[in-house]
Amino acid sequence: MVSAKVVIRNLTGLHLRPAGILCNKAVLFKSKVHFRIGNTTANAKSVLSVLGACVKSGDEIEFICEGEDEKEALDSMIKVVESGLGE
Amino acid sequence: MYRGTNASAGIGIGKAVVIKEEEFIIRQDKAADTEAEVLRFHGALEKAGARTRALAAELAAKAGEAEAEILEGHLMLLADPVLTGEIEIAIQEEEVCCEYAVETVCTRYEAVFASMDDELMRQRAADMKDIRIRIQQVLRGISPVDMGSLPAGSIIVAKDLTPSMTAGINPAHVAGIVTELGGRTSHSAILARALEIPAVVAVPGIVDLVQDGTDMVVDGNEGAVLVNPPDAEKARYEEKRQRLLRQKKELESYIGRPAVTKDGVRVRLAANIGKPEDVEKVLLYDGEGVGLFRTEFLFMDRASMPGEEEQFQAYKKVASALKGKPVIIRTLDIGGDKEIPYMGIEKDENPFLGYRAIRLCLDRKEDIYRPQLRGLLRASAFGNIKIMLPMVTCMDEIQEAKALIEEVKKELDRENIPYNREIQVGIMVETAAASLMADVFAREVDFFSIGTNDLTQYTMAVDRGNDRVSYLYSPFNPAVLRSIRHIISCAREAGIKVGMCGEAASDPMMIPLLLAFGLNEFSMSPSAILGARRMITRSSVKELLAVADRVMGFTTAKEAEGYMREFIKCLV
Repeated sequence: MVSAKVVIRNLTGLHLRPAGILCNKAVLFKSKVHFRIGNTTANAKSVLSVLGACVKSGDEIEFICEGEDEKEALDSMIKVVESGLGE
Repeated sequence: MYRGTNASAGIGIGKAVVIKEEEFIIRQDKAADTEAEVLRFHGALEKAGARTRALAAELAAKAGEAEAEILEGHLMLLADPVLTGEIEIAIQEEEVCCEYAVETVCTRYEAVFASMDDELMRQRAADMKDIRIRIQQVLRGISPVDMGSLPAGSIIVAKDLTPSMTAGINPAHVAGIVTELGGRTSHSAILARALEIPAVVAVPGIVDLVQDGTDMVVDGNEGAVLVNPPDAEKARYEEKRQRLLRQKKELESYIGRPAVTKDGVRVRLAANIGKPEDVEKVLLYDGEGVGLFRTEFLFMDRASMPGEEEQFQAYKKVASALKGKPVIIRTLDIGGDKEIPYMGIEKDENPFLGYRAIRLCLDRKEDIYRPQLRGLLRASAFGNIKIMLPMVTCMDEIQEAKALIEEVKKELDRENIPYNREIQVGIMVETAAASLMADVFAREVDFFSIGTNDLTQYTMAVDRGNDRVSYLYSPFNPAVLRSIRHIISCAREAGIKVGMCGEAASDPMMIPLLLAFGLNEFSMSPSAILGARRMITRSSVKELLAVADRVMGFTTAKEAEGYMREFIKCLV
């Protein structure tokens, strides 16, 4: 299991569009991809779960990846968030 | 006449088509074979997905890719592993039919979204409901309401329109939309505006008041709905409809044309914006740049200070969207009238004369001003950004801010971060002090922008929010007019550009005077740009000079205002 923290920079937080881009990246990996924010854990492969976490701009989330390609998964997730999730 | 919220402009006249909400009676039936039930669920998902994809393609062609994104979101929800997983588990563990499982799981999420604080998140409840209904329709073999085949001149009347229903609409046949629920920011309202269909939302009880074929008028400007109007009334609205269409067409003919007076004086018409998203409107109405980008939005409604990176992204977004057209960004203009807990700013006894804007920023260089200036300078590498300082009253403030900007430039040089070395720095002229010092300040800065709202307030010493004294709040007061004329002439003498970003810049009664005074840039809300351009194109500065002379000879606001009111009557 590997994990890393990243800050959400999108102005409107993780809304439908950025959440969709995040999920489309997560499903490319075999590993389980989750993120933690406060006491909530969200499944990064589920738009519904990501939306439900109600992540706002400036919030820090911690990605947790577990599985055979966990390292690549974690790197990709951090990168896609840092790239601004399409915004 | 029934009243609602004006959600999309224009007049629609036609016959009602009532869309009844489909009531599904969902029973908690036992599933005989849970495996088969799960398969049935997956089959329904696939069909619902196919319907949504077709609708999305249709909508993208009709209203544009951005509008179709709502439906792309539905596709993601339909394929969501958590959602489908929970429905499967419900079928298997509770041994219920898949209709019941879909209903309970989806409505649970609808309730979760509906209870969220965030307006954008609350709208996800409508999306969940929409996909739930679509799955249920497939399971029941019901075809969705075919919005595409409504006859010409239809007025759609519904409790609420789901995004997928709105998406199927043929704008050539739908004359108007009336709903009982929704607001200006709901999906159907946004789509109605994108499709340019007049719409009034939040009209209580309208569904029960009309039947298919009832004569109706929808006034999307006033938010009014008429049911079975008398012929005379209908004719009156038809006339209004024609007039609005003509005006709209005429205004659109000013897109892409420069703002040049009959005698060849060219001015710039820019837009005031408050959020990066507003850029769309600027481009739609052909703004020649952004004359005022307020940065307060970045700091409001949140728990902590926005970082440099977040600000950089916001400024860059606007600068690159404008593709080289000037974007004047005003640094933080905030004070004790707004409570921002994380900044720890105390309530001021007298916030408009207190610790605010440039005063606050220069006092909080490290945590507030430097990150903002760094964000601005970094973004200047991606477009034509200019920095504007708010509420300046003395030279020291200008010099201190400019020194800090130079410091930040050196920092960026050391870090090898690109920025525009020639970035212009200007000031808002909105205090009596800045106006009186305009000749001196003009030699120190690259441009002026006159903020008439505050200039009027500070010159007349009047709080416009106070009903008992607000009669004093008029830019037509001779004191304010003299101040404006003085600021413009000081700027012109020093050879710098002078703009105006207050409400007066789009006031038809003020524009002729500003042209005569020699204003270079008029900045206003995007939707006012084409009207101002039409007015300017029809004016001649030579003729207006005499008008301005006359107005400046008056001794009261009433005379000045009265004269201009009469004058523009003959202009239009």
